[in-house]
Amino acid sequence: MSEATEMPREHEIDTSWMDNMAEWGITAKPGKRGLTLADVQVGSYGDLPKVSDNMTGRPRGSTARPEAYRVGAYQVHTLSEIWLENAEYLYEEALQRQWSSATDIPWHTLKPLPDDVEEAECLLCTFFNEVEFVAGDVPARWIARTTPDYLEARNVLSAQVMDEARHMDVFRKRALANGGGLMRMSGATSGFVGSIDLARDFTEMSTRLHISGEGAVLTMFRMGELFGQNDAEKTMYRLCAQDEARHVAFGVMHLRCLGETAPERREEIECYLDEAEAQLMAGQQNPAGRQSESSEALAVLLGGGSEYYDEGHKKLLVIRRRQLKEYMKRVISAGFADRFENGRSPVPAQYAATA
Amino acid sequence: MEVFPSQEWFQKVQEAYNSDRELHSGGGGACDTTAGFSIGENRYFIEFAGLDCSQVRQCSEEDLATTDFVIEMPMETWRSMLQDVQKNGKASSNMTLNSIDLELEEGIAFSPIDDQYKQDLFYRYNQNFQDFFDASSRVQTTFES
Amino acid sequence: MADKLSSKAASVDRESKIVDPTKGVPEPKYDWRGLTNEWGVRVIPGPHGLRLGDINVGSYGEVPDYWQDQTRRPRGSVGRPGIPPLPYSLRSKHELWAECSADLYEEAIQRRWIPATEVPWDSLKTLPDDIEKAVCQMCTELSQSANTELEIITYWQDRMSYGYFEVKQYLATATFDCARQLEALRKRALSNGGGLGIESRGRVNRIILESSGGWTEAVVYLYLLRGTYITRLLTGLLSAAHNEAEAFIYSHMLEDHARHLTYGYDHLEYASTHHDDASLIMGTLLAVGEAHMAAELKEGVVSSAMAIIFGGGIKGARTHGMERYLVLVRDFINDYLAICRTLGIDREKSLHPVFKRYLEG
Repeated sequence: MSEATEMPREHEIDTSWMDNMAEWGITAKPGKRGLTLADVQVGSYGDLPKVSDNMTGRPRGSTARPEAYRVGAYQVHTLSEIWLENAEYLYEEALQRQWSSATDIPWHTLKPLPDDVEEAECLLCTFFNEVEFVAGDVPARWIARTTPDYLEARNVLSAQVMDEARHMDVFRKRALANGGGLMRMSGATSGFVGSIDLARDFTEMSTRLHISGEGAVLTMFRMGELFGQNDAEKTMYRLCAQDEARHVAFGVMHLRCLGETAPERREEIECYLDEAEAQLMAGQQNPAGRQSESSEALAVLLGGGSEYYDEGHKKLLVIRRRQLKEYMKRVISAGFADRFENGRSPVPAQYAATA
Repeated sequence: MEVFPSQEWFQKVQEAYNSDRELHSGGGGACDTTAGFSIGENRYFIEFAGLDCSQVRQCSEEDLATTDFVIEMPMETWRSMLQDVQKNGKASSNMTLNSIDLELEEGIAFSPIDDQYKQDLFYRYNQNFQDFFDASSRVQTTFES
Repeated sequence: MADKLSSKAASVDRESKIVDPTKGVPEPKYDWRGLTNEWGVRVIPGPHGLRLGDINVGSYGEVPDYWQDQTRRPRGSVGRPGIPPLPYSLRSKHELWAECSADLYEEAIQRRWIPATEVPWDSLKTLPDDIEKAVCQMCTELSQSANTELEIITYWQDRMSYGYFEVKQYLATATFDCARQLEALRKRALSNGGGLGIESRGRVNRIILESSGGWTEAVVYLYLLRGTYITRLLTGLLSAAHNEAEAFIYSHMLEDHARHLTYGYDHLEYASTHHDDASLIMGTLLAVGEAHMAAELKEGVVSSAMAIIFGGGIKGARTHGMERYLVLVRDFINDYLAICRTLGIDREKSLHPVFKRYLEG
């Protein structure tokens, strides 16, 4: 019997691709923040195309194939439409600052509350649960429509989708954890012309969502530390506020970038701001705006009960004032200060009226 | 026993904060920012890099102008906040930086260049700053008279 | 007249002295008070905290087979008449449901990882050029797969109704996972003297992205067909990792991916057992999909890159490297057939000839 060792089969392998690698010899090094997306923006991999021709979904900087399928159909394929200067940092920050509603909220600190207060809190939680549906759905939609050449900005939006899922979850949990339940929906989150939902332009959407909508919600989340009745609620609102501040930062920085790189769009953006401002105090989306169910609930909570509604309402005016002030300052930071000086915006008058 | 406010006090708090990750609560995490504390006539510069407080030192008014944001409150408020931390191990819910900021009409945080984007960093990194001051529960403190 | 004026003056004078504390505070209507479908719910946190699945109690845990509502009404809340509908086209439970969604959502949050600071990047050491190219090429391929997954999930996410919010929340974590994978793979490719490779031709990416019939169709291609293969690729890459950084990345990607497949398989099982015809439809889709997958498997880029990694270079790739890759493909097909069987889909008799050849070795 032969004792010859069985030789392994020889296979042909295709190595032609090895001559078609993209820019080679890249050694990005971790800095004090670890190895961030900013650190790997080196050489051609850091080149952001002003107009992307990537219709195949390839990673930015990889070698294109002439026969690759054009499956992209990306609506957002110019840099100015979505970019922001600090996208890579915002994304890394989001990764670092995730939290768990299951384990990071001290749920054991919940104690039974008077009915009126519990109802008010549950109504507000129902409202926030509903509102976060928008903030989760809409950025997701835009991820699918954006070329992967702008992966840093897309990744920030992906992180926002995650944050909003967590917000949806924490408010539903609060409503069902203390002897209450969900209340009536607001209905303020359905599509109307000029709404976040129906926007067919990313910047229009971002203006409404990030700067106007989330800016207003940020103030309310921060206020949660005042109207929260226990550590669980205060923690919940405080952590949501941190996330929200990141989303607002996206909006401000994107608008700033657009204003600088696409000045021909400034008047268009002013029109989006006009629409956003018309809703800021009037619409049902802002509990601190004009009287809505959620604003009544907020007044009850701020007062510490329906017996102290009036005092709570006065505190609501303070929230309203802050919302307006911070909104104006964010829009100024974004480079659109003129509208508050030339009489275009109604917000300065609204702000003055809250004094 | 360290006197508040003093560079020595802040450095002790920095040591405590950096030495024990248990002090870094959920929702904190890495951050990169510089801030100033305006405490009576005293000014302090603080820097967070990643998970650590990388620097805290006494500084000048001019140094504050280079920070992302400044936290300024009356001395009595600083004192009350820290006494609350000393007593309870961490800030009570009405004595957190956020609560104090909300209670005051103009708030306690501002951007030296009046840029709301920079001021919003106080909101984005709020938990880190709160954890930092909560860490002062591990530093025996007396107050400047 | 004088009396009236005097009276009016007295009234004004009285008014100026009276401070009305409620002036300017509108009377609350409190229309919302008492408006709830179920009250008195008090869910206590368990040993793992207060998880999403824990709050599915009473009517709040009733997941209907069909969700009529096209608004953003939170499940269990009181509706409002007259709210304009939104384009939530996926309103049947069998179109997206998986019982494990709530648990997977919480698991994803607990098992998050941060490539920038948790991957031991300093463990990277220079590799021989052919191996570095192979690793980078695989990073490029897997990036493009992750990108496809990200795009198809986010395409369908906002079409899914909120009656099944557990699924939407879970998919939000999958969105985040994909973004992180894109990030980690890019960082690996650009941190060890290499770069990105050549893009994928995208045959299977195309069938995933062009699946417009419904989310289930997308899941068939994304998770059952291609996802099962990706699992084997990642397992293989992990076993052949050259350093701790690669091991960390691949092992964490595998964890993320395992969750995605758990959702995918669970959903397909639900669909096949709750919708007549679902298994037959899946079978038809797979017959088409296998042809594309087979063409992609035959193409030389992934196979040779993996063979080089397994073989420790081009020379070894031609023998034991490729042999090992062929075993990987055979294992994938066996996994795939096993899952199909559990779903009541018989693919064995009409398995694509290329797949059969892989099984026959």
